Amino acid sequence: MSNPSERPVEGRAQVRRVIPASPEALFDAWTDAEGMARWMRPGPEMQCRCRLDMRVGGRFEIDMIAPDGTTLPHTGTYRVVDRPRKLVFTWVSAPTGQRESVVTIEFRAAKGGTEIILTHDGLPPAAAEPHEGGWQEIIRKLAEDSQASEARSSRRPS
Amino acid sequence: MVKQNGNLDRVFGALADPTRRAILHRLRGRGTSTVTELAGLFPVSLPAVSRHLKVLERAGLVRRRVDGRIHRLALKTGPFERVADWVSHYRDFWTARLEALEREMVDRRQIDSAKRKEKRS
Repeated sequence: MSNPSERPVEGRAQVRRVIPASPEALFDAWTDAEGMARWMRPGPEMQCRCRLDMRVGGRFEIDMIAPDGTTLPHTGTYRVVDRPRKLVFTWVSAPTGQRESVVTIEFRAAKGGTEIILTHDGLPPAAAEPHEGGWQEIIRKLAEDSQASEARSSRRPS
Repeated sequence: MVKQNGNLDRVFGALADPTRRAILHRLRGRGTSTVTELAGLFPVSLPAVSRHLKVLERAGLVRRRVDGRIHRLALKTGPFERVADWVSHYRDFWTARLEALEREMVDRRQIDSAKRKEKRS
């Protein structure tokens, strides 16, 4: 990681972990909505609700719910469902401006269990210009959203 | 790492609401605004605008300057730069999720073996 020539592809986050379980059991953990709600929530103060329709073309919805009730929806469509080897799905979340990214999970038998290789591709790369870049993109989205919500509220009878 | 994720979650939470996004957009256009000015712009009550502003302040998206009885709000750009770094956000996010998945698998195995023992006895 410290060697700059080994830096991951721009827009790609990759994580590997060996987990003491069979590839089948680990694969099935991604199809179990109740179990996923326990390990997908990003912190003890958050609630998580999962609806998973795991088949090619099927959709999932993972809602992260903050203590104040704010819900952060994460949605996507399954592209590859190859038990117990590979799972590919798209990943869209509101804060990324509904931009579609792709998550690929490979399950490989390894010493002590199964190695999970999770690759998240198509992420907006880190702001190229530290003070502009991503910031301007978000501001552009803010402008579009607020124009849309103004249009909605002006139609709404007060 | 965990602390940074917590901050990012607050930023995401703050950005998830259309009124709060609209407030940020206004602040960007005007530099600073008072709470009353902002309340006049949206079809929500003054206390509701105050609550939205508190959420934005906690997320570090908005700065408040108190001048006597006048509270002036301005945009802070720092958190947006952090949010823009999706690659490191998701690397941290998935690392933490796979750790939690491992705990889930280990817990499940312990429950299963306890059940087997129960059956045997």
